[in-house]
Amino acid sequence: MATFLNLLIVGLATGAIYALIALGYTMVYGIIELINFAHGDIFTLGTFVTIAILSMLGVTAANPPSTMSWVLVSELALACIGSFLFCAVLGVLIERVAYRPLRNAPRLAPLISAIGVSLVLQDVGKLWFGNTNVSFVSLPIGSVQMGPVNVDVINIFVLVVAIILMAGLQLLVTRTRIGRAMRAVAQDRDAAALMGVNVNLIIGVTFFIGAGLAGAAAFIYSLKFPNTYFYLGFEQGLIAFTAAVLGGIGNLVGAMFGGLIIGLIYSLVTLIPATVLPHGGNAWNKAVIFAILILILVFRPSGLFGQNTPEKV
Amino acid sequence: MAVSESPRKLLPNTETRKLLLKWLVAVLVPVCVFTYVWVGEQMVNGVWLSLLYPDVTSLDHDPWSLIIQSLFLLLVYGSAIALSGYLVAADSGRRNMLEVWFDVAFATVVPLVLLAVTSNLLISIGLAVVVWGIYLFVRTRIRRARHYTPPAPLASLHVIDDKERGALLRLAQQAGLWFGIIFAVITLVADIIFFATDQLAPLLLIWVAVRTVLLPVAGYFLGRLGGRMALRYTVAPDAGIEVAQSEGAQRGRMGWRGNARKVSREEQLQSLSASRASEEARDVVPNDKPLQSRGATRIYLMLLMTFVVLYPILDPILFGSGTKGRITSYGDLGFYVILALGLNIVVGFAGLLDLGYVAFFVIGTYAWSMVGSPQFYVLTGMIARPEIFSWFFWPMLIIAALLTALWGVLLGAPTLRLRGDYLAIVTLGFGEIIPIVFTQMDKYTNGTDGIAGVYPPATPCIGSFCLNWSNSPTPYYYLILILIGVCIFANVRLRDSRMGRAWIAIREDEIAAASSGINLVNTKLFAFAAGAFFAGIAGVYHAAKLGTVAPGDFNSTDSIIYLAMVVIGGLGSIPGVLVGAVVVYAINLLILNQLDTYASDPSNFLHFLPQLIHNFTFSNVRNLLFGIILIVIMIFRPEGLIPSARRRRELHHTTNEDEEAEPSALDQPPGTPEFEAEMKVE
Repeated sequence: MATFLNLLIVGLATGAIYALIALGYTMVYGIIELINFAHGDIFTLGTFVTIAILSMLGVTAANPPSTMSWVLVSELALACIGSFLFCAVLGVLIERVAYRPLRNAPRLAPLISAIGVSLVLQDVGKLWFGNTNVSFVSLPIGSVQMGPVNVDVINIFVLVVAIILMAGLQLLVTRTRIGRAMRAVAQDRDAAALMGVNVNLIIGVTFFIGAGLAGAAAFIYSLKFPNTYFYLGFEQGLIAFTAAVLGGIGNLVGAMFGGLIIGLIYSLVTLIPATVLPHGGNAWNKAVIFAILILILVFRPSGLFGQNTPEKV
Repeated sequence: MAVSESPRKLLPNTETRKLLLKWLVAVLVPVCVFTYVWVGEQMVNGVWLSLLYPDVTSLDHDPWSLIIQSLFLLLVYGSAIALSGYLVAADSGRRNMLEVWFDVAFATVVPLVLLAVTSNLLISIGLAVVVWGIYLFVRTRIRRARHYTPPAPLASLHVIDDKERGALLRLAQQAGLWFGIIFAVITLVADIIFFATDQLAPLLLIWVAVRTVLLPVAGYFLGRLGGRMALRYTVAPDAGIEVAQSEGAQRGRMGWRGNARKVSREEQLQSLSASRASEEARDVVPNDKPLQSRGATRIYLMLLMTFVVLYPILDPILFGSGTKGRITSYGDLGFYVILALGLNIVVGFAGLLDLGYVAFFVIGTYAWSMVGSPQFYVLTGMIARPEIFSWFFWPMLIIAALLTALWGVLLGAPTLRLRGDYLAIVTLGFGEIIPIVFTQMDKYTNGTDGIAGVYPPATPCIGSFCLNWSNSPTPYYYLILILIGVCIFANVRLRDSRMGRAWIAIREDEIAAASSGINLVNTKLFAFAAGAFFAGIAGVYHAAKLGTVAPGDFNSTDSIIYLAMVVIGGLGSIPGVLVGAVVVYAINLLILNQLDTYASDPSNFLHFLPQLIHNFTFSNVRNLLFGIILIVIMIFRPEGLIPSARRRRELHHTTNEDEEAEPSALDQPPGTPEFEAEMKVE
């Protein structure tokens, strides 16, 4: 039981990270109907920037801090903001260079271009930190006893930060002028332009926020997981995108729940014994996730929360 | 058309002089480059020397190789002369001379020089494609800056009567003859210089003398042949029924029929929409772009196919030592070509974005490696003896392909309701799942270690002549050549079939296709099955050739590479996909490795890069390069290097392939024939 609860909490925390990445996918898809394949790799670069900023401040994996102090907390906050800004600016740049010229091209064109950007970013990461695993700084954060389970504080921290970010995004989209403009552009770009919305600016803002969330997710990821490498974002991005599709792509709430569900599955699959699947569930978690995705899409082709819009002729 | 009076003299008149100059330079320059910069002269002299000096051991006296070489040389020079005749007869003479010369220089001289410099086929092809792309880009810019407007396309439809046919034929003869004379003089002068500087064996002077006489004579007849080819594509005059009947009595029924067909072709062309007709008019003689017309393309194709078929024998003469390695790598290139052709069916024809194509390749690979290897014992308890089981390669080629096609249907079935991007992610998922399955089911597949000792195919011996599958790459080269031939044939037939048209229809608009009575389920499933079928063939071949199979060799990046081949070449275009596969393979496996050897050499100018950037190697930035290529191609040429005609029309709705402004029929007021023709459904 304790194992199960523990896995549940770990799953929720992992899922929160997936949800943050999935939000970027879903926002971009909602507004320009493009699978932003580069999003996962923006996330990778976010983890690298986090490491780079922390090592510039003297906090390295080889020389981890022994106690928590306000200095350390402010350094971490700086890393988080740095990662957010870096990824956000990168996202806007990518949109400007690779997607905007193709806005009226046939649908496959921007997708291929996105794959191209993804390949480029992967190799940039590879050139920057090499072809190996790069360790994150391990923080001196302990665990607390909650009922029968011993929970790592970091999981709770991750959940809290993710929930704050998601709530903020939800507020931004539903309550502010910019959010309204974003929804308008997502609904009908031409009509929004006629109503005086600066479409290019709004698409840029969407990329800024979406990629920024990936940067924040990268920072949180660096707290929770031991290491990163250049291909990490592509793999995690695939799973996060699955989460976005699962929730119904283009739907913010869907992406959040999709992320949490995928995180839970990812973590609970470990419970499957080796008698059912060879080598136990852990070796199969990606396969299980995609199998579930396929199953869900067979019965609900537009995801759990997506509306099944009839096609216009 | 410049030819109004029939030139009976061998000297060209003033009107045709310009035409001759244009095409003789355009053909002679590449031929001379081939002869003197690359290997032409060496090969000819090599053949004659080994015939004339049978005692010299350093020469290659293998009769088989000599026959192949002389055959190849005859074809190259013969088709060059015929081509000059064809081009002169086919040209409408409206395009600028310099334009043609530049085009020809970048399309032929640059690759030939690159071949001579690098003496590596794939590297020079890859670089030539890059140069060609830059050239096209610059050309478009210059044209736009100079407000260049090409001649209106349909005006080139020119009706040719018997008198003019005769004149064209004589013109072609003249071109061939003059080609022969000029080339004979050039080679004579060159050989005299070589002889004077003691670089020419004295006995070869016999050949020089014979050649000088032979070339003009051959030119006369081959030019006539080229002219005949051009005349096949002319539009004959509308003789009318009465004339045709009176002539029919003399010429027999076929003459009347032939006439009637050609007249209807003219009408047919007139009634087509402007963009479509401009494409069709390209093959009519005379036309604006004879270099791209069907007759010329046939000559290129014939040359290319001869080269490819004879390649293993020509290779040591053309590129020196290392033949075995090169032929091995071209065998590998072959299965990429098949994979790209298969993926082209799914993505290019049917428009179903499949990002997990590698899954089918894995299934195909394992299908043969589980049967044709010691692993068969693990699976069934029966010992798979190589001398027997090697024979099963041939049936397995089909069985495994059918098996993967079945998997295509199985994996395709759940995705039928999905559209566009959902489909992409589900197929990507399949691409991830299948290698995981093959890794984890180690009871059957031997897990991450993979299966080793996969048997090569077996063939019967003819007398004492046996194919050496285990040591020589040449049998694989021919095997993959045959397989590619079959796949191209199947691809073309599929594209033009009822099913192929249904694929294109659902690619364009699923709902419209469904309302026109196309069964979406069957059509999509058949597309998946057909695509997977080719992956199965490629997989079996790959397993047999490599001998070992491991799941780590396959991941979703591979699927993206296959997609890159299809997209770079041109979605839905079969020649485009072939070129795309070659280009991607060339960049991927040869150019980058070659650059790495340059960069690691301290004396080379590229050496600064690894010093500047930590752990820099060119193979490390392979994806960076691919990514940039993909983005650039998508932005500047979204239809790919060699787009299919239909897609080109789609993507450049008002402009044709060179982005030239072209008056659209829809600019006409309603009621005019042009407008009505455009409104008609093609």
